Amino acid sequence: MDIIEKLRDIVGERASAAPAERLCYSSDASMVSGTPDYVVRPLSTAEVSDVVGLAAAEGVPVTARGAGTGLAGGAVAVRGGIVLDLSGMNRILEMDLANLAVVVEPGVVQARLNETLKPHGFFFPPDPGSAAFCTIGGLIANNGSGMRSVKYGTTRNYVLDLEVVLADGSVVRTGSRTLKAAAGYDLTRLFIGSEGTLGVITGAVLRVMPLPKARRLVIASFSSAEEAGQAVAATFAAGIVPSACEILDRTTVAVLRRCDPSLRLPDGDVLLFEVDGSEGAVAEAAAEIAAVCSPTASSVMTASGEKEMEEIWAARRLVGAAVSRLDPTKSRIYVGEDVGVPIKEIPALIREVAEISERFRLPAMKYGHIGDGNLHVALFIDVLDAREWARLEGAADAIHRAAIRLGGTVSSEHGIGAARAEYMAEQLGEGAISVMRAIKRALDPKGIMNPGKLGLDDDYGPPSGGEG
Amino acid sequence: MRMSEERREAGIRAKDEMKIDSRSIELCVRCGTCRSVCPAFEVLGWESRNTRGRIMVAKALREGLAPDTNVLDSLNTCTTCGICAAKCPAGANPPMIVQSARKGLVSQGIMTEAQAGFREKVAGSGNTFGELGDRLGWLSDPGAIKEKADSVYFVGCLDSYRYPEVAAKTFEILRRFGVALLPDEQCCGSPLIRTGSDAGELIDKNLRQIRDMGAKTVITGCAGCLSALKKEYPPEFDVVSVPEFLAGHLAELELRRLDLTVTYHDPCHLGRGSGIYDPPREVIRAICDLVEMKANRENARCCGGGGGVRAGYPDLSLDIARRRLLDVPDGVDAIVSCCPLCIRNLRDSGAGIEVIDLIDLVAMAIDPA
Repeated sequence: MDIIEKLRDIVGERASAAPAERLCYSSDASMVSGTPDYVVRPLSTAEVSDVVGLAAAEGVPVTARGAGTGLAGGAVAVRGGIVLDLSGMNRILEMDLANLAVVVEPGVVQARLNETLKPHGFFFPPDPGSAAFCTIGGLIANNGSGMRSVKYGTTRNYVLDLEVVLADGSVVRTGSRTLKAAAGYDLTRLFIGSEGTLGVITGAVLRVMPLPKARRLVIASFSSAEEAGQAVAATFAAGIVPSACEILDRTTVAVLRRCDPSLRLPDGDVLLFEVDGSEGAVAEAAAEIAAVCSPTASSVMTASGEKEMEEIWAARRLVGAAVSRLDPTKSRIYVGEDVGVPIKEIPALIREVAEISERFRLPAMKYGHIGDGNLHVALFIDVLDAREWARLEGAADAIHRAAIRLGGTVSSEHGIGAARAEYMAEQLGEGAISVMRAIKRALDPKGIMNPGKLGLDDDYGPPSGGEG
Repeated sequence: MRMSEERREAGIRAKDEMKIDSRSIELCVRCGTCRSVCPAFEVLGWESRNTRGRIMVAKALREGLAPDTNVLDSLNTCTTCGICAAKCPAGANPPMIVQSARKGLVSQGIMTEAQAGFREKVAGSGNTFGELGDRLGWLSDPGAIKEKADSVYFVGCLDSYRYPEVAAKTFEILRRFGVALLPDEQCCGSPLIRTGSDAGELIDKNLRQIRDMGAKTVITGCAGCLSALKKEYPPEFDVVSVPEFLAGHLAELELRRLDLTVTYHDPCHLGRGSGIYDPPREVIRAICDLVEMKANRENARCCGGGGGVRAGYPDLSLDIARRRLLDVPDGVDAIVSCCPLCIRNLRDSGAGIEVIDLIDLVAMAIDPA
């Protein structure tokens, strides 16, 4: 029996080998591509277990995928095989708010979880730009985060327990519902950020937080991005922890205004500081931030209220893809887009990126979570111009190496996938890579779990299948 | 799927004939925003059945992807509702890409049975139902047909043949303001254009009559016709929707207040397609209470009927309609809309609540108590 028939025995019509379907699952939002041989849309852990068991028996790669919004090719089947589309496993199974916990399937979309939690007065803090469409499974597998990580941390801070289908099809749980546990290796964290290379996440117990009573947004503009970076360092040095701290350079501000002319954003390179907590605390923190920024800022203002704040955040979330609004011949290409450095190195990083942008003659938007050292560099090119593609590659490489040189990371929240695998050894060192390889071999001896990712399995695993 | 024999032998000349603007395809960065709003995808779940997937398919067709059944289903399950375009951060216009891809395939004789059906019916009858009866059968007073008029009422296939009472009620009001009818109205062309066929002949026939009448304004109560008249016809005349016309004449209509609470469904081609959100609401509020649907105005969800989906994928179409009904607020007496296709689809999906045309509501408010 063909593999497709065996897959249909497990999931019925929710398995496909049609060329159009394989094509549509051949990429995510990155430039990485690889065509799977089969696409399967399981609806239960049992189905995932059976599919992975079959893949193990047949020696076929399995790549888990949520909404396919990743920016590093993590969900792309670069060696062919089966893509498991988990976005149909999208139930919120339990709201256990007395234990500050919710139980979800991996395909639940982040925004839907927060819409469900809001009336109960709780929220799940990791808040990526793609919140309206990315899945919780993808967030966990990439340790995603977003705008509020400066105060709330990343996804790893909010996962208590995972259900995982291992490479042989067996199912394990990694943690417990307790808010803390001291019971051996932290398997939950091992799977967080593992990008599907060790197993498939089929369920999660998440920790949720009470919604803050108040939020306030301070908007400060500066004459240079570097000066803005210095103001961020000064704010932290003053002992203030904002709930979000974002930079929008002048190009980004122009794009945002083009998308929504009614947005009240000042000229220049802009910092957005959000503070949350009680009414009194936010008023005090907002005043302190204004005082720290005032000596160097060209303007400091506060958003008029919840509505204006939401409008600015909504625009900010989607700015990554919006550069075409400024110039329809330019497209934003997601490479070199997620570097991070220690906070005090931010001005240096901004300086280097500006120099790289000039050297490669590529315009760049710089924006991102400057409060946690994560700078999103948006390079944009005319995709119909081959010379611009070549320069783009060089610029992305230079940005990655600059981040490593400054003691930082090539990815802060988007993941390594296939797009950044080549930098793993340079960033982590051979020692750490060897430990990761040993873990990978122990849990996935046949090398079928999302092969070709994280730079861990170049020397083993099944041969490339299909057109992957 | 239909494919003529010689086409099969000649192979697909997709690359040459898929005339889709590269720029518009390259605007898509596959971010996935559209994935969260595509109504067909919500039901079907396959990546090829959402906007991002359809753009990938359209692009691959230009590069030689064989247009098999799955490709046709990918492209033809799009209702062209345009919510993806409204949400796309990069400013892409996916419905246009889908329409161009359909057109490229149809021009090579590659189409679904439903697409072929539209062509045959319209070619044989001038309407989408293949009806051979009198298009003005609903008109009780043939004397109403005039040779010259500043404004004409473009009835549309659906109201002409399926909802003649709506056509009659609409014309009853419009004729008070001197609005006339075209003597031999044909399908506006929208169903053909949406499904990839050429509508030039229909457009010419309608255009000739509009010119002969000397009409400066064309008024229609169908969102699909409105969109076609505005975007596919030369800009020689003003195109006005019935809700805009009514909102502009509220004082003269002398509407009485009704003890009703209704909700309003924004038709995609009236709202997102033509930016007409307020006029129908003004008319409703002049008559009774209005409670908005959960998703409304530019965020309104599709009824599932458009883009040839009702004809080609009836189960999908009704599934989308049922999901739209989940947006209906509690305690309303009726759903009001301004497009016969939306009304039909919402009714057929088992709304469990009355679905009426705005003109029905207005007629109730005009009738003496």
